[in-house]
Amino acid sequence: MKRLMASVCLAAALFAAPAHAQATKELVVYCSVLNEWCTLMVQAFEKKTGVKVTMTQKGSGETVTQLRAEAANPRADIFYGGVGDQHMEAAEAGVTVEYKSPMLAELHPWARRQAEQSGFKSVGIYAGALGIIWNTEALAKKKLAEPKCWSDLVKSEYKDEIQMSNPSSSGTAYVALATLIQVMGEDKAFDYLKKLHANINQYTRSGPAPARNAARGETTMGVNFLHDGVAEAAGGFPIKVAAPCEGTGYEIGSMSIVKGGKNPENARLWYDWALTAEAQNLAKGAKSFQTPSNMKASAPEQMPKMESMKLIDYDFQKYGSGAERKRVITRWEKDVGSLPK
Amino acid sequence: MTRFIRLWLAIGWAGMLLLPWYAIDPSFWDPRWLSRYPDGGTASLLLQVLAQGRWWLAPAALALIAATPAAFLGTDDPRRARLLLWAGIAGMALLAAEGFAIDHRGWTLPGMSDLLGPGPKQPGMGYGALALSLSFLMLVSLGLAGRGVCRGDAFTVGSVALVIALVGVFVFWPIATILLSAVRDNAGNLAFGVFFEKFLDKSTWGLDCLYSQLRCGVAWNTLFLAVIVGAGSTLLGLAFALIATRTAFRFKGLLKVMSVLPIITPPFVIGLAIILLFGRSGAITALLYEWFGIPRSRWIYGLQGVALAQLLAFTPIAFLVLIGVVQGIAPSLEEASQTLRARGWKTFNTVTLPLMRPGIANAFLLGFVESMADFGNPLVLAGNYEVLATKIFFAVVGAAHDQGRAAVLAIILLGFTLAAFYAQHMWLGKKSYTTVTGKGDAGLPVPLPRGLRWLCYGVAIPWSLLTALMYVTIVLASFMVAVGRDHTLTLQHYQTGFSVEWTPHGLLFSGSAWNSLWTTLQISAVSAPLTAVIGLLTAYLLARQKFAGQRAFEFGTMLSFAIPGTVIGVSYILAFNVPPIELTGTGVILVICFIFRNMPVGVRAGIATLSQIDKSLDEASTTLGARSFTTVRRVVLPLLRPAMVSALVYSFVRAMTAVSAIIFLVSAQYNMATAYIVGRVEAGEYGLAIAYSTVLIVVMLAAILFIQLLVGERRLGRRPVPVAAPVIAAG
Amino acid sequence: MAKSAASVEFRHVFKRYGAVTAVNDVSFTIEPGTLVTLLGPSGCGKTTTLRLIAGLEMASEGQILIAGRDVTRLSAAERDVSMVFQSYALFPHMSVLDNVAYGPSVSGVPKAKAHAMAREKMALVGLKGYDDRLPSELSGGQQQRVAVARALVLEPQVLLFDEPLSNLDAKLRRRVREDIRDLQRALNLTVAYVTHDQQEALAVSDRVIVMANAVVAQSGPPRELYEEPASLFVADFIGDANIVPATLAEANGETATIQIGSIEKHLRHRGAKAGAVKVAIRPESLTLSTAKPNASALAGKLAKAAYLGTHMEYTVNTEVGELFIVDRAVERPYAAGADLFVSLADHGVTVIPA
Repeated sequence: MKRLMASVCLAAALFAAPAHAQATKELVVYCSVLNEWCTLMVQAFEKKTGVKVTMTQKGSGETVTQLRAEAANPRADIFYGGVGDQHMEAAEAGVTVEYKSPMLAELHPWARRQAEQSGFKSVGIYAGALGIIWNTEALAKKKLAEPKCWSDLVKSEYKDEIQMSNPSSSGTAYVALATLIQVMGEDKAFDYLKKLHANINQYTRSGPAPARNAARGETTMGVNFLHDGVAEAAGGFPIKVAAPCEGTGYEIGSMSIVKGGKNPENARLWYDWALTAEAQNLAKGAKSFQTPSNMKASAPEQMPKMESMKLIDYDFQKYGSGAERKRVITRWEKDVGSLPK
Repeated sequence: MTRFIRLWLAIGWAGMLLLPWYAIDPSFWDPRWLSRYPDGGTASLLLQVLAQGRWWLAPAALALIAATPAAFLGTDDPRRARLLLWAGIAGMALLAAEGFAIDHRGWTLPGMSDLLGPGPKQPGMGYGALALSLSFLMLVSLGLAGRGVCRGDAFTVGSVALVIALVGVFVFWPIATILLSAVRDNAGNLAFGVFFEKFLDKSTWGLDCLYSQLRCGVAWNTLFLAVIVGAGSTLLGLAFALIATRTAFRFKGLLKVMSVLPIITPPFVIGLAIILLFGRSGAITALLYEWFGIPRSRWIYGLQGVALAQLLAFTPIAFLVLIGVVQGIAPSLEEASQTLRARGWKTFNTVTLPLMRPGIANAFLLGFVESMADFGNPLVLAGNYEVLATKIFFAVVGAAHDQGRAAVLAIILLGFTLAAFYAQHMWLGKKSYTTVTGKGDAGLPVPLPRGLRWLCYGVAIPWSLLTALMYVTIVLASFMVAVGRDHTLTLQHYQTGFSVEWTPHGLLFSGSAWNSLWTTLQISAVSAPLTAVIGLLTAYLLARQKFAGQRAFEFGTMLSFAIPGTVIGVSYILAFNVPPIELTGTGVILVICFIFRNMPVGVRAGIATLSQIDKSLDEASTTLGARSFTTVRRVVLPLLRPAMVSALVYSFVRAMTAVSAIIFLVSAQYNMATAYIVGRVEAGEYGLAIAYSTVLIVVMLAAILFIQLLVGERRLGRRPVPVAAPVIAAG
Repeated sequence: MAKSAASVEFRHVFKRYGAVTAVNDVSFTIEPGTLVTLLGPSGCGKTTTLRLIAGLEMASEGQILIAGRDVTRLSAAERDVSMVFQSYALFPHMSVLDNVAYGPSVSGVPKAKAHAMAREKMALVGLKGYDDRLPSELSGGQQQRVAVARALVLEPQVLLFDEPLSNLDAKLRRRVREDIRDLQRALNLTVAYVTHDQQEALAVSDRVIVMANAVVAQSGPPRELYEEPASLFVADFIGDANIVPATLAEANGETATIQIGSIEKHLRHRGAKAGAVKVAIRPESLTLSTAKPNASALAGKLAKAAYLGTHMEYTVNTEVGELFIVDRAVERPYAAGADLFVSLADHGVTVIPA
C-alpha cells in the first residue's frame, strides 16, 4: 500500500521520492569525516567528473549501522572516512566489496597493508596517531608537569585530571586499548588501565570529546587522536599534544565500496580519485590534520610528523576482527569499567 | 452512501487502469516519468499483468472487478454490504500477499523458488497500489457501515479503518520488526536464551551501589533519574501553575514565558548552556572560584547535571498540563470547604490538592516518560552516569553493533513506561474528578495559604532567573568568537551559517545552514498539520465513538511515543528500506516518522478537550442531517481550537527539535537542522551550533505566533462549555 | 407543513450493551400527527428508545419503521427526524440564527434561503430579532425555544423531545409544555416525547407509553392509564395510588365482588382470578368522616395531616394498612390522632389484573 498514504497528503508539498540514483552520472557517498572535508571532496569531485554526488555525513558507527540495516537494498555507493576498524567491521559483515585500485602503488605502506588485511575491501586514506593532549593553561595553574609517556598518566598527581573515551561506544578508545595491549602485553595493559582508572574523571562517549573538553578546560588532559588536539589548537585553544614515548598506535581512516550500490562505476571513479594527492590535500582546508595516505600528498605542518613518532606495528587484522574486539571490550568492561571510582 | 461507493470504486479503477503501479524513479511528483508512460516502470496494474507478465497482480484486480456490481445495487439490498465487505477484504489480503511474497530480489520465502521457479522481481509499490489499497480499505468500511457498524456512519468506520491501517503499518510493523531482533542471535536465528542472557545482564540490573562503591545497573539509574525528574518537574510546574492562577503576582506574564521557553529549545542547547555556566570552566564556577575560593570541579557531570537539564526541559510540559487542571477546579468546591470551617491550608490539602490529582498524575507521567526517552541531555551531561537511552544508542552504533541488545534494553524501557501508565491508572482509579459542569460557576478562586504562596515564589522565582540566565548565556555565546575562550563579540557564526548574498542571479543563500533549515521547516510544516489532523481524528474516534478493540487501539497510538527515538529510527530503516513499502532516503519517511511519533500529543490534547464538550452537540448536528464529517468540521473542530493549537505547536516544535529518531533517517537531500547541529557539536564548533539553535528558537517562536493567529480563538460566550482546556493530558 | 406527518413503528426491538439489555422486545406504533410520551423512571430505557428512533443508537435486533419505511440500519443523518435535547445542545460558537439555520445549511441550501427558513421558525417560537445573540446570552426558556426552532426548521417527519422541560423552573414548565402541544397540533406533527414526570405526560400526550425495566409496561391514552392501570407499577407511577390487599369473591360477567377489609364493592374484575388480589385506590377517591357513614367504611386513626393550600393530605392507619388521602375540604381540617372513618368513592378504585 502506502508509500503513499502520506504522500497523497503531501502532494501539495511536492516531495521528491527516494534518491534512487540512476546508472548515469550519480553517486551516493556516506561520509564519516568532518562535514567541511566531505563538502570540499564532493565539490571537487563533481567539478572534475561531472558526476552528481549525494552526500550524507554521519559518524562511522552510525554509518555501519545504516549500511547493515540497508543491506537488503543498499542506498549508498561509497563509505568514505572513519576509523579503519569500522571498515573492517563492514567488510566482515559483508556490506562492502573488494576493489584493487590502480592507485595503491602511490600509497604509504601502512595504507597498502590496511587494504591487504581487509582483503582489498577497504583502503587507508589517512592516518592519525593516538596520543596525549593537554590544556597548557590548566596544567600550569595546577603546576603539573607535561605528560610525555603512557607511564606518566598513572602518576597520582594527575588524579581526576584525565579523560578518555569509553571503549564500548568509541572506536578511538578501542584503538587505545589495542595499542596498550600491543605495547605492554595484555595482562600488563589491563593492570595499567586499572591504575589509570583512578586518574580518569570521565569516560566520554565519543572519541574526540576529550580533546574538545580539554580545549575548553573541562578536563586537563585526555587520551585522543592527536589530530583532534591539533585542530583545537588551530582554533586558538591552549592545547599541546604528544605521542607517548613507549610507542603508540594509530588509526587508519579508510574508504570502502558498498556492496550492491547502484552506481558501481562512479564508485570506483571516486575511489581512485580519493587516493590521489590532489584529493588528499583538500583535508587541510577543512581543519583536518590527519596524515594523508598518498606519499605525494603533503602532510599538514601543525601535526607532529609520523616519522618523528615511535609507532607500533599495529595488527589491524587481529584487532579489527569482530570477535577480538568483543573480547577485549568485554574484558575492559568487566575488569576496569566496573571498578569503583 | 451509494455516492461514496461509486467514488471509491472509481478510485480503485483509476489505481488499476491509469496510475503507475510501482514507485516511480526518481519521484511521482517529478513529471519526467510522463514521457515514458506507460513503459515497464510506469505501467498501471493492468499493463503490468498484460504486457509485463506480472501475473501475480491479477488476483487483486479480480477482487476489484468482483466488488464493482455493488455500485448498482440498491441501498436496501443486503447483498451490497456483503459484497463490499468480502471483496474488499479479499483485495487487501491479495495485495498484501503478493507485496510481501516478492521483493526486488525475487521470492522472499526460500521454499517458493523451488516450487515456482526463480525469478519474478518487483520494486516498491507506487501510487496505483496506494489508490487500490485505499479503495479496498474504504470499500470494506462502507460494507461494515452498511451493516450498521458504528451507527451506520461510513465516515466513522472509514476513519477508524484508516487510522488502524496507518498505525498498523507505521507503528506496529516497524516496532515488531526491531523488537523481534531481541530474540535473535547475531546470525539472525531465534534464540530465547540470548534474550534472557541480555535481559538479565548485571550491567542492567546490578544493585551494587546499595552495598558497595560499584555502580548500579543502568536500568536502576534510568528509573531513579526518571522518578526525580518526574517528581521535580511536577512540583515546579505546580508552583508555576499556582502562581499563574491563584496569586496576584505582578510579573505573572513574564514568569509564564520563562516557564514555557525551554519547550522550544533544541536539544544539547540546555546541556551546553549548563556546561557554559556550571562546568569546570563555566562562568558561575569561575565567579565562585574568584570570589569565594570554591575550587573548580566537575560536579555538574553526572546525575545532578542531567537531572537539572531535564528539569529545565520538561517543567514546561508539567506546567501546561497543570495550569489547565488548576484553572478547571470549580471555585465553589473550595468555597464549600471554607464554609465548612476549613482554613486555608486545610482546604488546600483536602479539596484543592486531591482535585488536582489527574493533573499531577499526568504531569508526572509525562516527565517520567520524557526523561526515560531523552537522549541529548545525558549525552552531554551524564558523565559516568549511564542511562538506557544513551546505552541503546551506543549499543546500535557503538563499537559492538549489537542491535539485539538495543532491542532488549528498549523492551526494558518500554516496560518501565507501561508500568508507569498502569500505576497512574490505578492511582486515579474510578473517582470522579469532574469539576467543570455545564453550569457557570460564579465563585472566586480561593487565594493560596500564605505559607504556600511564599513557597511557590521561593521556588519559581529563582528557577525563572536560572532559565533567564541560561538563555542570556545562549544568545551571548552565539555572538562570541569561541565561547569559553575568546569572548570577543562577533557575527561570524551567523555569517557561516546564514549568510545571504546578492548575486547577479538574485538572492543566494550561501550560508552552510540554509539547506538544512529549509528542509527542517518544510518537513515540520508538512508534518505538524498532518500530525494534528490524525491525532485529533484519533481522539475523536476514541472519545466519541464506540468500537471493538478500542483500548488496544489507544495503546497502539501511544506506543511510538514511549519507545526511544534511536530504536524507532533503526526500525524504520528495517521496515521501509525494501518493497513493498520503500521509503528510505525520502522526505516522506521523515514526515511519517514525525507524524506517528508526535501524534499521541494530539490524541491526548483532543481527548482532554473533547471530554469537556457535551456529546449531545455532535448528536444534535447529526439529527439535523449533518454527516459525521460535516459535524466534525462545523461543530467539533471549532470547539477543539485550543487542542488544535497545542497539537500543532507541539508537533511542529518536536519535529524541529527531534534528534535521536532522525539520525538514521536523514539523507543528503533531506538533512535536518538538529542533525546538522549535532554534527557541529561533534566537530567542536559550539559557536555555530549555538547560533543555529538561537535561530531555531526564533523561528519556532514565530511559528507559534503564526499558528495562534491562524487557528484563532474559540468563540464560546460564557456558558455551556468550560473555557479552560488542558494543553496536554496523558492517561 | 409541506410534508405530511409520519408514523413510527417499533417491531420487537432490542438494544443490548454487552450483558445489559436497555430495550427489551419493545413494540409500539405512534400514529401520524399524534404526540406520544415515553414515560418511566430513570434507567427504564425510555431515552434509549428515543435515541433508537433518532438513529443515535442502532438496534441490536428488531425493526424500526418511519412512515412505513424500514430505517433500522440508517444513520441519524439519513432519517427525517429532528430532536430537541435535554441540554438543548446549542452550538456555543454559533449565533442563534446560525444555530437554527444549521440544518438547511449542512444539507446544501444556500445561505440566504437557510436564513430565511430559520427566521420563519424563529418567529414561530417567538424569537424574532434574536438573530445575532450567542446561546450563552439567552435565558433558559429562550434557549429552549431556539432548540425547538432548530429542530423544526427542516420540517421533519418526526420530532423528538428528550426531557425538554427539565432545565426550566416550575412556572415556565407549564407554559412551555402548552406551547409545545399547541405547536404540535398547529403543525400536525408526529412527536415522541420523553419525560419522567407523569403529570407532564398526562397533560400533553395523545398516548403515553409507560416503560419499566426496559420493557413497555402499558400504553394507552392518559385517561385509560390513570383509571385502568395494568400493573401495580403503572398504578403507582401514574399519579398516586394506595395499593391495598383485597379478596375477589365471585365474578359475574364484567364485574365481581371485591372485599376490601370490611368494605364490599362491585368492580370490574379485569380478568383477575378469584382469591387474593390487589386494588389501587386513588387518594382523592377516599373520603373521611368523623361519624360512621351509612355505607360501609373502614375505621382508622389519623396519623399525619398536611396543609397544601388547595387541599389537605392525610395519612390514616386502617385495617388494610396505611392510606394516603387527599381532601379538598381545607376549611375544616381533621387533627392528627383523631379516630375517623374512611369510605370509598365509586370511581378511582381499580382491581389490578396481574
